[in-house]
Amino acid sequence: MRALAPIRAVARFGTVIAGGMLAACIGGNGVTATGSKPVTPTPNTMMLTVDTGPSAATGQINHAYVTIKVCAAGSQTQCANIDHVLLDTGSSGLRLVRSVLTAAAVTLAPELDAQGQTVEECVTFGGGQTWGPVALANLSMAGESADKLPVQVMDDTGAGAPPPASCGANGTLINSVSGFGANGVLGVGVFAQDCGAACVSASTPLPLYYGCTSAGVCAAENLALADQVTNPVAMFAADNNGIIVNLPNLQSANGDLKVQGELVFGLSTQTDNALPAIGLTVLGTDANGDFTATYNGGTTVLPALIDSGSDSYDFNDSTIATCSTGAYVGYYCPLKAPMSVFAVNSGVGVNNATNEVPFAIADPNSFVANAAAFAGLGGGGGATNFVWGMPFFYGRPVYVGIEQRAAGPYSGPFFAY
Amino acid sequence: MISGSIKPALLTAWLGAGLLAAVPASAGLGGDVEAVRADAAEFVGTLESAYGADYLIEQISTGSGMRIREFLNRDGIVFAVSWSGPAVPELQRLLGVHFPAYLAALAALDRPGLHRSLRVVTPDLVVEAGGHLRAYQGRAYLPALIPAGVAAADLR
Repeated sequence: MRALAPIRAVARFGTVIAGGMLAACIGGNGVTATGSKPVTPTPNTMMLTVDTGPSAATGQINHAYVTIKVCAAGSQTQCANIDHVLLDTGSSGLRLVRSVLTAAAVTLAPELDAQGQTVEECVTFGGGQTWGPVALANLSMAGESADKLPVQVMDDTGAGAPPPASCGANGTLINSVSGFGANGVLGVGVFAQDCGAACVSASTPLPLYYGCTSAGVCAAENLALADQVTNPVAMFAADNNGIIVNLPNLQSANGDLKVQGELVFGLSTQTDNALPAIGLTVLGTDANGDFTATYNGGTTVLPALIDSGSDSYDFNDSTIATCSTGAYVGYYCPLKAPMSVFAVNSGVGVNNATNEVPFAIADPNSFVANAAAFAGLGGGGGATNFVWGMPFFYGRPVYVGIEQRAAGPYSGPFFAY
Repeated sequence: MISGSIKPALLTAWLGAGLLAAVPASAGLGGDVEAVRADAAEFVGTLESAYGADYLIEQISTGSGMRIREFLNRDGIVFAVSWSGPAVPELQRLLGVHFPAYLAALAALDRPGLHRSLRVVTPDLVVEAGGHLRAYQGRAYLPALIPAGVAAADLR
């Protein structure tokens, strides 16, 4: 059923620290010679770690982090390794907290629009919004690189233009390290740009990209695709058609202290990123990046995605009690846990597989207090969509295919597992 | 559901049937039909009307591809709003006087920024919001003002 042969999976998953027990450290970043690789393959695998977060914001749960290398565009020397960047398969594009860049002495040149104004962006993430300028960076991950990559600088220090009244008006601004529990967000979803065509030529520009005068007055504006915040994978010279997220099963139902897996770039471009020939469920998405899901035998068809940026299974079930006190307010606290439920996923378009996924919701009050990874966390509760968050990733490889790129016999956009 | 045809006369008829006294204009939830018109102007959208089960739907469609619906009960009060599109419309305006309560309830949740599906409940207000870049959707309603027999799930 699962993609990787067992021996292979063990070698790739590295260490798992569960409940204070250190499992044997096998392998490392998974770039082991197999004898059948091309002569000089591009290193396409990097370590993925679930831990309690950056030192400035510890206590995070179900956050999968990578360490990336960022340089000012065009600079060989103004570079820094930024740790604890949150892997997000639910968005596209890299966003970095300004104070983190400043502390690392990296200054990214702002992108300017045709009028010479700085381009700034306002993006809604759940109950919060990010605000800050679009800037250009050279990004390196494993052996891959994206030069002059448009990224968002999340302006926690307020060095740039202040957010317009419409940004922050949907909740709270989450520009800081504590806002995401991360030093940045690496969006590696199904799209090449974060907004796409809707931001290029709308008769009324979306409240997403803004042109800001030197006086800090901002107005929504359209932006060409090449200038939009861009999925760095789509800019790689090779291995640019998608990613694989590999995380192992957790050791403890009550939470693991730390988990290590890997992020692999490219789909069926090298010997280490082949799409499995059998047992793979490929769910094509619509133009919005959603496949569909129906929950627990219900008839309501919901837009759905597989989202490493969400820390729980997020869905609506009014029969499950919601935690009202403690560290998990707003999450599900089933009276009898674990509670077994299921949902049926269906792909959209050519990749129209249908697949039923059983899952279980735990009582988070039973979780180990200082652990970082929890398999049974459910929450959110909105009735307008269905989100396969981080718990979905434990124990199954997840494949993300980028729009308009072929990946083996398939074509993006898709999620697969 | 929205019929697709523009029926400005519906508004007037609805007003004549239900509104006895002018309600002070306040945008979004809790507002009146004048406030809906102001919202349409604010969001630079075109307005269409249609009847639901026991309510009037005013739909605002913007040139940027956002769709907002405001649901008015027999008293001419907006008891629910919904939205969908590639960005989230300004909730401060759509939730109107209920926005501070929403913010307070949001702040009481753990890690609200890390959920792409959210349900926020206060004694007077329910907000369900979700989605991601390119596709956001949600609704907010005042349970006490929903017409009898109308299910929240229908308010889309």
